[in-house]
Amino acid sequence: MIAIEDVTFHFGKVLALDNLTLKVLPGLSMGLLGPNGAGKSTLIRILVGLLKPQRGSIHVFGEPPSITNTSRIGYMPQLSALYRELSAMENVDFFARMYGLRSKQRRRERVEEVIRLVNLWERRNDPLLHLSGGMRQRVSLACAIVHSPPLLLLDEPTVGLDPELRVSFWEYFHKLTASGVTLVISSHTMDDAAHCDRLVFLRTGRLIAEGTPQGLCQATGRAEATLEEAFLYFIRRK
Amino acid sequence: MRQIIRDRRTLALLVVVPVVVMSLVGLSFTEESQILDSVAPALLATFAMFFVFILTGVSFLRERMEGTLERLLATPVGRTDVILGYLLGFLLFAALQATIILLFTIGVLKIHYAGALWEVFVFLMALTIGSVNLGIFVSTYARNEFQVMQFIPLVLAPQIFLSGIFLPVEEMPGYLQGLAKVLPLTHAVEGLREIMLHGKGLGDVITELAVLVVFAVIMLILAATTVRRV
Repeated sequence: MIAIEDVTFHFGKVLALDNLTLKVLPGLSMGLLGPNGAGKSTLIRILVGLLKPQRGSIHVFGEPPSITNTSRIGYMPQLSALYRELSAMENVDFFARMYGLRSKQRRRERVEEVIRLVNLWERRNDPLLHLSGGMRQRVSLACAIVHSPPLLLLDEPTVGLDPELRVSFWEYFHKLTASGVTLVISSHTMDDAAHCDRLVFLRTGRLIAEGTPQGLCQATGRAEATLEEAFLYFIRRK
Repeated sequence: MRQIIRDRRTLALLVVVPVVVMSLVGLSFTEESQILDSVAPALLATFAMFFVFILTGVSFLRERMEGTLERLLATPVGRTDVILGYLLGFLLFAALQATIILLFTIGVLKIHYAGALWEVFVFLMALTIGSVNLGIFVSTYARNEFQVMQFIPLVLAPQIFLSGIFLPVEEMPGYLQGLAKVLPLTHAVEGLREIMLHGKGLGDVITELAVLVVFAVIMLILAATTVRRV
């Protein structure tokens, strides 16, 4: 699904990604875990084609990121990146059109479906200005999934969500992977990490470990180690 | 576009501010209506460019800062299409402002003009399109509203001083004349003067009109190339 080879990216003099090599298999959720500045958002923006690496190669669906394969990618940025004066329905409908859902009838059905899916039916006509941060996150997710993409790139999707909402997001993500959708999710919380099928630990743009959550914990040599302890273990080892 | 329509305060300001400014101009020339007639073409061009630049520059900056532009660039819509979409959206409001300025100047300030009103309007729209593209292009270099505002003295003030509003271009030092002749506002002022003061038609100011069209196209190309996918 995704093949990343020796990718390096600089923001001016700041090294954001350093010789990163990684593969993401289809139908799995891959968590990008690391502190702020680890390179998680940069990697996601490269995968969606918003940034071009200075070195290395990226293949998504077997080809370099380009405008042609963005219709198969759902992107949820870290900022909610929505139109505040418009309602949830209008925002989702707008992005549905941008993703090429041309038939008015089909688009309307799909928009209503995703609005229900993110549990916002009762507030669907309220301007985003009047919605809470968690609700806006849900609208943002709805915009990313409205065109039913086989690949979802979600940049910190659970930031600012209450525990109940976080659980419902993860339930939905599990349903997506069960239906064959591939997820790449960035996060800096261990709570999110535990839900992923595979994890990548990133620090200052470098990959410090990769594996299943259980495998990474076991690699510390302590059966009862938490993911946080595993992360610290790999940092110290590097 | 719908975003601005829903923001009623912004919409009201788009209409009220040009009216207030033009009223002040009219009041200051109450005793000198002949002078007002002669400076009206220059004022029309200057205020149209000024308001449209601010409207577009700040609105487009908001799209970038709030992440909606980046989100749009992650969809299958091409970069040029995105810019054209913004251009058409902003143009509607910019045209509204330019029309208010024009109608207020003619209908309320009662200036005397010689040429056809529709030709004045067409000429003003050419300037408006260029100003929208200029606003988009310049705002790609700003990171906040304060920086957009700093572009006013840098981009607009030289045009206002060199476009022949205060001193005829021919009376400026040679090197300034050269600079004045490449600025779009100089040609906009010149063209509007020819139509409004001397009753000329669009065919007579085709050179000035062509300069404004070329300026609009160059700004569009620059805007499309500088809208970083970042």
